[in-house]
Amino acid sequence: MRYGRHDHFEELISASLGGELTDAERTELDAHLDTCDACRATLAAFADQRRIVSGLRHVGAPRDLGARVRAGIEGGAFAAVPWWRRPAVLFAGVGGGLAAVAGALLALVVLNAVPDEQVGDATARPTPSVSVAATQSPPPIETAPPSATPAATTTPTPEATPEPPVELPAEPDVYLAYTGPFDNLVLTLRDGVSGETLHELPVQGPPVAAELSPNGQFLAFTTRRGQSGLHDVWVIHLPSGTVSSGAVPPIETDLAEWETVELGESMAGSELLEHMAWSPNSRWLAFTRADVDGAGTDAWLFDASTGATQQLTTDGVGYAASWIPVASEPSQLWISVAGDEPTSELVVVDESNPAECCGTTIGTLPVFQPLISPTGSHVIYWRGVMAQQGAEWAFVEGGAPYIADVQVVAGATELVNERPLFSDVTIDRDAFVSAGIEWGADGDAYAVWRVEWAGIPQGSQGEYPAANRVYFGHAGDERELTEDHAIDAADIPEDASVVDVKVTTTRHLLVTASEPVGGVMDAPVARLLLVTRNTGNVADEVAQIRADVEGGWFGPPAYDADPRSGRD
Amino acid sequence: VQSIVVPAGAGWRTRPVTHREATAREAEFARLFEEFSTPIYNYVLRMVGDHDRAADVTQDTFIKAYRKLDTISEAASTRSWLYRIATNTAIDDMRRRRMVSSMDDTSPAFANRADERPGPEAQAMAATLDERVQRALLTLRPNHRQCLLLSDLEDMSAQQIGEVMGLSYAAVRTLLCRARGEMRQALAAEGFSR
Repeated sequence: MRYGRHDHFEELISASLGGELTDAERTELDAHLDTCDACRATLAAFADQRRIVSGLRHVGAPRDLGARVRAGIEGGAFAAVPWWRRPAVLFAGVGGGLAAVAGALLALVVLNAVPDEQVGDATARPTPSVSVAATQSPPPIETAPPSATPAATTTPTPEATPEPPVELPAEPDVYLAYTGPFDNLVLTLRDGVSGETLHELPVQGPPVAAELSPNGQFLAFTTRRGQSGLHDVWVIHLPSGTVSSGAVPPIETDLAEWETVELGESMAGSELLEHMAWSPNSRWLAFTRADVDGAGTDAWLFDASTGATQQLTTDGVGYAASWIPVASEPSQLWISVAGDEPTSELVVVDESNPAECCGTTIGTLPVFQPLISPTGSHVIYWRGVMAQQGAEWAFVEGGAPYIADVQVVAGATELVNERPLFSDVTIDRDAFVSAGIEWGADGDAYAVWRVEWAGIPQGSQGEYPAANRVYFGHAGDERELTEDHAIDAADIPEDASVVDVKVTTTRHLLVTASEPVGGVMDAPVARLLLVTRNTGNVADEVAQIRADVEGGWFGPPAYDADPRSGRD
Repeated sequence: VQSIVVPAGAGWRTRPVTHREATAREAEFARLFEEFSTPIYNYVLRMVGDHDRAADVTQDTFIKAYRKLDTISEAASTRSWLYRIATNTAIDDMRRRRMVSSMDDTSPAFANRADERPGPEAQAMAATLDERVQRALLTLRPNHRQCLLLSDLEDMSAQQIGEVMGLSYAAVRTLLCRARGEMRQALAAEGFSR
């Protein structure tokens, strides 16, 4: 190729063909062309060339391209998913202009509709019988509404001795990572200590929630679908030995090792919505989905023994809460009902009849989303007036989380000594709209994050309650949470958003904090931070997991029920 | 123990979940496929010069796009995003076939193959115009070919080409000029005048 004094003008000539010249460049080029035969020839040659290339014959794509793409997607992304659980409508949104590939795609849609018919839906099944509790085994505990006034004078006399506090290792059993160049991001499951990749997951999107079943056999996780405002919920079956847990035995399951099941999509929302809960026996996962068409929220149940998912509530006001932490059968699940006066219902899950598992309610409470501590000795729940906001429900007046002690006397369970979780915040007609709440395995430590406060800030040292701070408390601390219980502001990078928090020990938190979204070509970034909480004037200690890797999305982490277990 | 009370706000029932409902993801992918499958196929065809390989690369491009669909954050950049995937997939394909050693390769991709071909006049006599232009394209360095096709076949601006190739606006202008210079020689070798 020739390079000489005309190089500058050749670049201008080239740029002129695409209309990329500035006025000054156009003037300069025109003046030069008036005096230079060589550059006029170059202009003619480049113009001819552009005409020739742009006039190249345009050919249609192969008629079977759609079918090949479909087959490739199923062979890769859904390879581990049984055919009857795959999405049926990959190309269902294709309009009328598809022309050459329309036939192939239509065939695909029809092909995939068949499995759905075989599986059946609600209209094809008999209405579940509504059985009374008498047909069930008596529940191990009964629950009465909490006393309306704080039982300051009540001295709980628990029959069951709470388990002694346990000291967890700070590192998680596993964590998720979403790393790689922007056009080749890969979601992987990593060992919590070594960072070794255990498995490449056949799904896409940065993970925003993760919960290991108590026996370490299944990992439930949620991924974010770009900027669409949608989340996808998944469960993966971890092979024996991936996470060892001596605390809870494995269950029999129809899922193959590393099989990944899509539980459905949901609008993204508050932590009230994104809460997931495994049953103590590791068979059931309760979760909530917000309808993409605005039909509200409903509680869902996944059966890890069969891989089937079923909808528990249908009126757009249901939320999954927590399980009674007793690993005896039948399992019992709190499901909350949003509304002006939110309530929660305790549902017996019929282990022997998964298809119609959940027709029995054995008790109600005038609270929302009760989260029982792993030891069963405390519960945190919400009170206040709720209203539907977008796809989900939120507290709009008098909303706040409370904590109460659990008292078991003569077989009867009571919630006593109720007190506001944030003891120095005046609620009045304001509200905590929502927040994320997570118990530690010791049944004492807890964390609150992504606090949305709809009221005038009440802090003396800055914004309080604050959405970008993490509050770390202990049930045994009579102060509960105050402004001083926020971990240091410097623990979390400025402008980062807290995505997930796990309480690892009485002093340690694992915080997944995402960076602001960059350009369209930028991969999402989140840091996984191990925070050692110090009190007084001593600053917290923060260690970043995989700090040796530039960028990437690390977290959330997950633990099983065995505080001393790790990977084999 | 109470009898069951189904509250007014919620009643449970059971049913297996089907995935019959069209999701936003599937609808978006279907739109992408409808709009871009033919343009991408033609672009890849000119990159690799072979229909079967172009079909394979286009197929892989859309499979990757489906898996990465949630990484699109702005509709305006969807086209650049898809062409970048297609370009990288085509480059990988050529690399696997030992046609190129690197995108940064400074030597023409077919420098050692020109002598194996018939002379320019013989080729010109035997081939259609389309085939001759395609042959000329295949002699270009891969990044020159990519840049030229994005500009003249896909009618992308320098800004858009930069998004696809990960280059600055100024770098695209320089690269495109060099690509045109190389293509001028290649077309001359195929018997085109000027």
